[in-house]
Amino acid sequence: MAIHLNRRTMLALAGAGAVSLATPLAAQDTALRLAFIPQENPEKLLGDIEAITGWLASEIDVPVEGFVTIDHAAAVEALRNGDADISFMGALPFVLAEAEIGAVPLLSEVYRDAPSYTGRIFVRRDSGIGALADLRGRDIAFADPISESGYLYPLAEFVEAGLIDGPGAAEAFFGRVFFAGGYQQAMQAMAEGLVDAAGASQYADLLLTPQQQAQVTWIAESPPIPSHVVIARPGLDAEVQDRFTNAMLQLNEPENRDKLRYLYGPDGYVRADSAAYGGVRDMARRYGLLE
Amino acid sequence: MIQKSLGAFIAALASALVLSGPVAATPAKEAPWLPEAAAYRLTLFLANLEPLPWYDVGTAWAESYRGSEFAVGALAWLNGSSDIGPAPLLNAITRKDRQAVFAEATRLIARRIDEELDRAVMADDPARAQQAVRTARELYRAFADGIAAADPDASRRIGLAWLELNSSTGSAGVLGAGATPASRKTMEAAREVISGYLAENYLVDDFAPRRTLSALPETVVLSGRTIEVPPSLPPGSDMFDQDPLPRLVLNFEEQGIDETDLPLVAYGDMLFDSAQIFGNPAQDLGVACSTCHNRSDVNQRLFIPGASHQPGAIDVDGAFFNPIFNDRRDDPIDIPSLRGLRFTGPYGRDGRFASLRDFTRNVIVNEFGGDEPTPFMLDALLAYMLEFDFLPNSMLTPDGQLTEAAPEAAQRGEAIFNTPFAALGDRSCASCHVPDTNFLDRQAHDIGSVASAYDGARTGAMDTPTLLGTAYTAPYFHDGSLPTLAAVVDWFDESKALGLTAAERADLTAYLETVGAADEPYEAFDAENTAFRLAFSELTTFASTLNTLLPQRDAEHILLLTDTVAADLSADASTMSNLAARPEVYALAERLAEVGAAVRGEDWVAAEASWAAFKSEADAIEERAF
Repeated sequence: MAIHLNRRTMLALAGAGAVSLATPLAAQDTALRLAFIPQENPEKLLGDIEAITGWLASEIDVPVEGFVTIDHAAAVEALRNGDADISFMGALPFVLAEAEIGAVPLLSEVYRDAPSYTGRIFVRRDSGIGALADLRGRDIAFADPISESGYLYPLAEFVEAGLIDGPGAAEAFFGRVFFAGGYQQAMQAMAEGLVDAAGASQYADLLLTPQQQAQVTWIAESPPIPSHVVIARPGLDAEVQDRFTNAMLQLNEPENRDKLRYLYGPDGYVRADSAAYGGVRDMARRYGLLE
Repeated sequence: MIQKSLGAFIAALASALVLSGPVAATPAKEAPWLPEAAAYRLTLFLANLEPLPWYDVGTAWAESYRGSEFAVGALAWLNGSSDIGPAPLLNAITRKDRQAVFAEATRLIARRIDEELDRAVMADDPARAQQAVRTARELYRAFADGIAAADPDASRRIGLAWLELNSSTGSAGVLGAGATPASRKTMEAAREVISGYLAENYLVDDFAPRRTLSALPETVVLSGRTIEVPPSLPPGSDMFDQDPLPRLVLNFEEQGIDETDLPLVAYGDMLFDSAQIFGNPAQDLGVACSTCHNRSDVNQRLFIPGASHQPGAIDVDGAFFNPIFNDRRDDPIDIPSLRGLRFTGPYGRDGRFASLRDFTRNVIVNEFGGDEPTPFMLDALLAYMLEFDFLPNSMLTPDGQLTEAAPEAAQRGEAIFNTPFAALGDRSCASCHVPDTNFLDRQAHDIGSVASAYDGARTGAMDTPTLLGTAYTAPYFHDGSLPTLAAVVDWFDESKALGLTAAERADLTAYLETVGAADEPYEAFDAENTAFRLAFSELTTFASTLNTLLPQRDAEHILLLTDTVAADLSADASTMSNLAARPEVYALAERLAEVGAAVRGEDWVAAEASWAAFKSEADAIEERAF
């Protein structure tokens, strides 16, 4: 279901904003609350949260608490109602959260010197598949239907190539479209020959065995996708935002880099550029996720 | 040399990787083995050892495996996440009934998969259904290699069923946008494919007796077909190079001599890095000399359950690597450094081999089950290993005296080191660790560090180890029982009643740390001077021996080289920082494989042509090889 911003939802958002604005200082008197979304073993994430919140608290001189939400929606809800001040989030959920509650981007993750990455269409080198058109009637595995690099952007390459009319017409072009549940599962399905192609992050082939990596290649690549983002609820005190952001940027320093492993393992952070997420907003609209 | 023969191990490891949780927008991390799946794989592995380490089998279920990201072991995990009780399994372990343990553990995992599949099908929202599918699939890892090896058609059917199952769970969308409903009918059909196979092969009432425990499906075992399951190491194993990587000091290199001008040494360097010289399972797992001896030194992180009692230790004459050489004694040793090897004989922790050649052959043939090496191979290995030098240490003169650069505490400690003690039979530390002979005496002494094997045994003598470079090779003693050099000093002081004061112990420790220090103990890497660049340089150096071997038409040794180096070059490309250049490295590896293929076909003209092309292409991409 798309988020349709009509007058009524806008009023609701305004109300939520007012509530949020009314609570932040009280919240900071107790603790800055960070929402984390599990990407792997939730138990490990709890340990990571303890480590990073402890360090952040010492850096910004404000108590910092962290908690795990079940998914993006719960994190956004927590931001909306003031249970969380800051959350770690993917680019697509961010632009939806921005539209829904006015979430503010603070920091973008950096991988291999860039706050962005791409999605690719991978195939086996011995498959004889050299172009997107060769995949007509063939099977493909994507990671997840709401993954930027694992579905939305790679599929858009087929649209750009004129092979698919739009996001809803993929089934007419491919033989079967699977959602494997993650990059690694999609790539493994392709490498093992269960499907002919996989749509996944540009780095997803690194999840295959070294032998498999040598056996696969890619035939199409999406434009850059902004990387994950750290967002704040609207109305979070500007000084607190600054202190938090500056502390997080300290993680780029050599002496602090070991702590990045507690935060989904990026190579570092940069200040978020909201304009950089324009392409994601466009993509969300194209897929009917955002009006 | 950097360890490059880990391809198969990495393959085994990576094939077990399953991304857990929602899709990450950035490079995803591997999921750890779920506790009960890990315990199952550990149980299979340990139960194939003789004598069977029953205590370790119990521990495999009771405690979290080494390196696990789960704080609890399988039993506690099951208690919190499953309705399946472990009592029958625990009873079988208590009775030390190997076959019953296999049966109960196998059924437990199969039931757990079914339990999660039940949860997936009955879940009332896509997120919970997907979580259950993920968990079930991660548990299926416990059986996956057995099915793939024995029943590829079933493996494919089940693989597609997992895809179908996950795809039909629907999607919760993002914040309600893009949500799609589940397809129950499709889910149930896909689930039936998986559960049906489990019922037939892993949930049977009576399993046929198995000499070797594995995840092979029961129907295949009953068919009597001989199936080789590729060897794998259980969760908790670690064969990756230590980090930071020890610096390798080669005598010829320090003198400015290029290894490509020393083909025998270069070939030996290749062999030191080749798993091909060993038998299985070492060969398929990618175990090479350098696996334990990173860059001529040690690998402090190496750990194999059942064969290692702690990281950096291994029992090479146990049941795992070469059953015929199994001494049936649980006696793992701390991996010794090979630095200065030509000065450190006799060889073996107990100095049982006077000849390095004999020792090396024993490692290849007996410890790791390899074929008899050719004289050329032994010559090459020795030529290479005899180039291992100690790490330069500016605080020490060549004859073992401290320089002015040494700290004062070490200077005081030096005096203690040279002081005879009555409790040592009027000998000093320096009596055995002789400073002007590289801090060793090439003799074996029983200092009381080895528990007596039996009444009246005289089996506690160990070869005096050098003290050079020891600041980087903790822990200490043959079994790695002492964690620090300070602990070594304390051990001698207490066990020999030396009567040292705290200050004297500190000074003596400072002396040992100074003697054991080095100016540059580790390799220094940066953005472009990466571990891959080092590997690329070494692999192309190994290949340079083809300049000698091809004219000699030495097919046997050429093929050993091309099989090793082509595979390693390709596998190592996965570690490159410069991902854009990976395809070129893959092509280069294929070029070397072409040399081998031509030699196998006795087409020497084609072999020479491919070799010429390899050299040209290697030169062209060298700058980008990082």
